[in-house]
Amino acid sequence: MSNIEYHLDLEAIARREKKAHRGNWLAMAGTILISAIWIVPFYYLATSIFKTTEEYSLNHPLSLPSSVTPVMENAVTAWSNAKMGTGMMNSALYGFTGAALAVFIAALAAFGLSRIDFRGKNYWFMLIFAGTIFPLQMYLIPLFFLYQKFGILNTQFGMILFYTAICIPFPVLVLRNYMNGMSRDMDEAARMDGASEFTVFHKIVLPNCWGPMTATFLLQFTWIWNDLLFSTVLANRTEVRSIMNALQVFQGSYSSVGPNVVLTAAVIASVPSILLYFILRKHFMEGMRVSGA
Amino acid sequence: MPEINDNIESDAELLQRVGWSGSGPEERHQRKRNFWVAFAFMSPAILLVSSVLLVPVGYNIYLSFTKWKKFKGLDEFAGFGNYERLSTNPFFTDAFYNTSIWVGASVLFPLILGLGLAVLVRGMLFESLFKDIIFIPRILAPTAVGVLWFYVYAPDGVVNRFLGLIAGREVDIGWLYQDNTVTPAIIVTFVWQTVGLVMVLILLGLNAIPKDPIEAAHMDGASRLQVFWYITLPLLLPTLLVVTILSVLAGFTVFDLLWVMGASYPGQRTLSLAVFQYFEAFQKGSWAFGSAIAVVLGIVVLTVTWTQAILQARVDRMIR
Repeated sequence: MSNIEYHLDLEAIARREKKAHRGNWLAMAGTILISAIWIVPFYYLATSIFKTTEEYSLNHPLSLPSSVTPVMENAVTAWSNAKMGTGMMNSALYGFTGAALAVFIAALAAFGLSRIDFRGKNYWFMLIFAGTIFPLQMYLIPLFFLYQKFGILNTQFGMILFYTAICIPFPVLVLRNYMNGMSRDMDEAARMDGASEFTVFHKIVLPNCWGPMTATFLLQFTWIWNDLLFSTVLANRTEVRSIMNALQVFQGSYSSVGPNVVLTAAVIASVPSILLYFILRKHFMEGMRVSGA
Repeated sequence: MPEINDNIESDAELLQRVGWSGSGPEERHQRKRNFWVAFAFMSPAILLVSSVLLVPVGYNIYLSFTKWKKFKGLDEFAGFGNYERLSTNPFFTDAFYNTSIWVGASVLFPLILGLGLAVLVRGMLFESLFKDIIFIPRILAPTAVGVLWFYVYAPDGVVNRFLGLIAGREVDIGWLYQDNTVTPAIIVTFVWQTVGLVMVLILLGLNAIPKDPIEAAHMDGASRLQVFWYITLPLLLPTLLVVTILSVLAGFTVFDLLWVMGASYPGQRTLSLAVFQYFEAFQKGSWAFGSAIAVVLGIVVLTVTWTQAILQARVDRMIR
């Protein structure tokens, strides 16, 4: 190593640094420009929900609202016309129950796949993971038929059942990898002391998995909250409709109310996922990392 | 003192702890017992995934070979009849063409823009602020994004006002009502929503690249462009591959945005394979035909995933 000579052209390095520095200002300008373009729709959204329908139709779409009070009326109109209360309750039920059940069931399976020694593990893993490789369109028609046959079409139970199942495979992948990396000393010690496998699972392994479990829970919750397709197909009655379905139906009937009201509905429907993102941003990014890697 | 013996491992336990995989009758018995314990842990997942996801996939494939009789139900075997109908259906050709455009656009634009933004934003002042701004659309549901942009593209909406400002006269293009503008308009919305995720994934990939080879190259007098082209980009290949595949799959199955933003568009340009399938099955009641479309989508998606697995293995070997 020591016999390699480094020729350091200090002046060239300084020149390059200077050039890089100037490049930074250009890059900064470019980034600010793109960010500004990215913000415009949000700005439009944020100002529109404070306008009355009359104010909205008469003024420039990017004009500032004259007062902030119309947002209350817009929200009330949107809330009652789009039946958003029912939609929000349903989506919250589907999201929390579906994602929580899925992550718990996935943790159980991941424990079996990573902490217990048996032959053919990979085949069982692949069987579970096969639940994510098909496009969602392949489930629509058969599930519609089967749900009809078993009388669970348009029921909350049917929705929770589907959302739980579809949200299992990905957390199994993440949690299995995570549990494989955990030390086995504690398990063995507990087993030696006569602990049952379930005790090992919920006293030793589970408490160490809250991080990836929260991350996957958030990703799955957001997926369920944002889903439009399955709610449209499997639960199209008002009482069991999800929030995104309610929003889509409301927009389709926009002639009865102004765009300002429909946009207010879109904001209300998005509040939970945005709030969750900002409160648990760290976990979200962790989820991104595990899903990308 | 019998308690002491409890703390001493038996030979069998020691062998098991150090991972000795014996094949004697005792170990086999242990393995068998272990399997049933593990199976008990896996059973809820296996039960749900197979009954709610895998059985329906099989049922879908079966349905695609049947013929639907009105008021009578199906079950009449039709062989490849539905697939033959697919090949001659002009809407299917349209849907396939539109979907191909979507796949191309949803790979190309987010990848180029996302890579550019990642390189630009990285290490810059206010990096996390810029990252948040670009990423936030991703958190919104496609439905909410579709609703928002539906009004952004309105004849008197933001886009037309902005163009009017540049042109110096009033512009009232019906972006979402015309054959030649509806697809580009919705693709812009798609890029607006998805480029944040692509950027974040690429940033994660960039941060995972070791610094030594880059510094060494800089020392040797390589320009920034050379370093990027010859060192950073090849090391980023696995990430780019993942991003590309995610985009291909998203492009093939695009539904929500087209469904919401194309709601008042009368033509065929917003007919992707997924939208076509929905129309055929849930609005026209051609269940068997709809199942055949789903199978075609399934074959395409599985081929893409399969290709990714092969490429991934090859890239991993190349990097190492």
